[in-house]
Amino acid sequence: MLLLLLASAASAQTRHNLHACVVNAKSWVVGAKLASSGLIRFDQSQSFEQLGFVHPMILAADYDRRDPSVLYLAAGNGLIRATDGGRKWRITTGWEVTELRDVTVDPNTPGTVYFSHTEGIRKTTDGGNTWQPADTGIREKYCETLQTDRTRAGRVIAGCVNGVFLTEDGGASWRRTGAEGIQVRRVVQSPHQPEQWLAGTQVAGLLRSTDGGRTWEAAGDVAVERTLYDIAYDPTQPGRIALGGWSTGVMVSEDNGKTWERRSQGLPRWDIWSLAFDPGRSGRLYANVHEEALFVSEDAGRSWRKVGLDGAFIYRLHFFPEAAQ
Amino acid sequence: MIPLLFAFLLAPPPEFSARAREIIQHHARPASLETASYGTIAAKLWLKQDPEWCSRRLVEILKAGPSGDMFWMFPVTAVAYTGRGQLSAEAQQALRDAWRTYMPFRGDTENHWLLYYTSIYLMAQMWPDEPGEAWFNGKSSAENFKESEEWIHWWVDMTTRRGQGEYDCTHYIGVFLLPMSYLAEWADDPQMRKKARMMMDYIIADYAAEQIDGIYAGSHARTDDRQVVEKWAGVSSDFGWLLFGLGYHTPGYGGYPLYYALASSYEPPEILQRIARDRPDGVLHKETKRTRHRWRFHEERNGDVYKTTYLRHDYVVGSDQGGLLQPVQQHSWDVTWRVADPRGVHNTLFTLHPYSGLLELQAYFTFPPDSATEVVYRSKKSYDSPDKLLGGSPYEQLFQDRDTVIALYDIAPGARFPHINGFFSKDLSMIVEDPSGWIFARGGDAWIAYRPLAPWSWKPIEGGGRRLFSPHLKNGAIVQVASARDYNSLEAFRAAVTRLPLEFRLEPTPSVRFRTLRGTEMICTYGAPRDFSSWKLFDGPFLQAERGSRMLELRHGSMRRVLDFATLTVRDE
Repeated sequence: MLLLLLASAASAQTRHNLHACVVNAKSWVVGAKLASSGLIRFDQSQSFEQLGFVHPMILAADYDRRDPSVLYLAAGNGLIRATDGGRKWRITTGWEVTELRDVTVDPNTPGTVYFSHTEGIRKTTDGGNTWQPADTGIREKYCETLQTDRTRAGRVIAGCVNGVFLTEDGGASWRRTGAEGIQVRRVVQSPHQPEQWLAGTQVAGLLRSTDGGRTWEAAGDVAVERTLYDIAYDPTQPGRIALGGWSTGVMVSEDNGKTWERRSQGLPRWDIWSLAFDPGRSGRLYANVHEEALFVSEDAGRSWRKVGLDGAFIYRLHFFPEAAQ
Repeated sequence: MIPLLFAFLLAPPPEFSARAREIIQHHARPASLETASYGTIAAKLWLKQDPEWCSRRLVEILKAGPSGDMFWMFPVTAVAYTGRGQLSAEAQQALRDAWRTYMPFRGDTENHWLLYYTSIYLMAQMWPDEPGEAWFNGKSSAENFKESEEWIHWWVDMTTRRGQGEYDCTHYIGVFLLPMSYLAEWADDPQMRKKARMMMDYIIADYAAEQIDGIYAGSHARTDDRQVVEKWAGVSSDFGWLLFGLGYHTPGYGGYPLYYALASSYEPPEILQRIARDRPDGVLHKETKRTRHRWRFHEERNGDVYKTTYLRHDYVVGSDQGGLLQPVQQHSWDVTWRVADPRGVHNTLFTLHPYSGLLELQAYFTFPPDSATEVVYRSKKSYDSPDKLLGGSPYEQLFQDRDTVIALYDIAPGARFPHINGFFSKDLSMIVEDPSGWIFARGGDAWIAYRPLAPWSWKPIEGGGRRLFSPHLKNGAIVQVASARDYNSLEAFRAAVTRLPLEFRLEPTPSVRFRTLRGTEMICTYGAPRDFSSWKLFDGPFLQAERGSRMLELRHGSMRRVLDFATLTVRDE
């Protein structure tokens, strides 16, 4: 127990840096010159650093729990393993997959990573040296998002073009557990109650599972008929959740999703792509507004100021441990 | 002076090699060397002109920072290969460094991928045995070479079994010919060189069979807002001129023919020359293609596209089966009439439903839904316009019997643009709105009869011509074309057409029964099952191929050429 407490304390003290999966898209089409884009780190000294190559399509990232300096990037060109804190890249996949959508590391099984792409889900058990299809049971393969269950090895939840899917055997088999007929864009596990998951959808609002993804239900009428692009739990404040989507602004709940308040004062528009709470500072919330910039709030969304990355479209915001530098 | 001018006008086009050289020389002499780019460098290197300047300029450009993804990769690959033995050590090093320090995006279309992998294949071949650290993607030369080779083989196999994905493109034909030209010339592997030469025959044959004076006619996977009405104005015409001496090249000859010429400068064999130049009056050509990759909403990633093209001396009528077969730039059907000089001429007629929506964009792209239209609009300005003349629609179905097309529309309530557009060119003459409901017109030496099935009105088109605007969800049109040689007056044509039996209804679904001028009774109902099971990959007097065969037989008179991709052999008879 003492060891657990020590580990927990150490974790709480670990410094985290914000990583943004960015494209400066205002004028970009394939073949056009691209401003700083790809994986950008925003460190404790409040400065931005481009990590690795400029790339127009880094959609998501995760880090190796054994060595946080190793990142996995879901990219247009494939799955990139980025070492040296994200600076040195190797594309680990070939021509079989393209335009990756999301990536998630299984924290319980060293070397196991999953990514979703335009035609399903793939998995590695050797840190990305080899990949195998892992989407049996998902008939319509396009999957926008996936996340491993941090509490149990081999459990992954995926949001696909036709529903939410669950595997409990490491991707060997999947079953749809909700959202039939609905495109799911984001699934997120609560850091406080591991059995609670939220799913953001295209048009159908927010879905909630309280049994580890086995069943899903509508989580009220928040953002119905909008597309929800991101969901963020505040790891420092149980019950606090933020949502962002198209025309929704930033919606914040302080009661674990029972009620929602729009907190967009100071944001230039209500089209939100990505959100992240800072695990090192309670109430600090980052948000990307469509092709405007990265914004930060120090009071859980009640007021906002611009941080930088003008014009950016940020697919995803992640906090990774300091060692990931 | 006048006899000299006369002699010039009557002069035959230069020979193929002279045309190819003309293109290269043009690009080697830009208006300003200060802003010259890779094309000029490669052209000069090919001509063995001023390698010192080429080296300096290459270093300058690369120092400014590469951009353009695969559109950067293919020009620098050409520079690398034309510059062998000529570029300075500094320039070679700059080139080498660029492939380590710049990561091109692989793109989202087959043309992007073909450029990307062809370039990597050739550069990995040029710099073998190098570790991953020497390449932008962290893969060794051997890994890069193998991956590229595999994908190129996959593409050839898929194309020769199922048809091209970005088929019959007026612009992108260049982007498919260019990599084949590179591989045919610069690949070390004789099998790859041969396969690339065979694929050039394949793509050129596909084009030769469906063009009129070099103008790519009928249905296209992709064209653009200008070329959809000014049929000549594009890369396909540059290739028609280069490959066959047909028609007119565009000003500046286009960029892709330069790179084609710089590499293999492959001259089509005699049989392709004959297919392009010598055909009877009245050729029915059918083929199967495939859709671009569809990521969502479809059972099959690549669906079938069934094309019909009917070619006469005076015009071409071509169509696909309708539906959303390609994103954004699909052109589903048209009539194209021959003109002596097509430059500036809108020698075409067609209709479409101007579809714009997520069903299309999310099927073919991975964009988030809310910004998808905006993203497309950035490079394709007409996409979300109700007036547009480009694009496929899920609410369009097409039926063709030689020079008759029936287009039926059943537009869903709530569709963004609930109307159809008909393009009536500024270059049509003798337009008559007949009391029978038919509209008659003459385009070149083609008589065209157009029967709208729902009420309509004219709207002006910027740049000339008129748009037939019909704001009805249940809709359709019948188009009957004939040669001015068949009917010696508009009145004779009008009388013949108005005598044709025609029945139609629009409710509950559009349906037409029509006897064509050729005596065929066409019975067409929107949404009724259609049997394409007997459709071949190519089926016409000049091109024959079974689906799945990986073979193509070219025919002209007693000449035969069989391209067998399964055995990688070419058999001439």
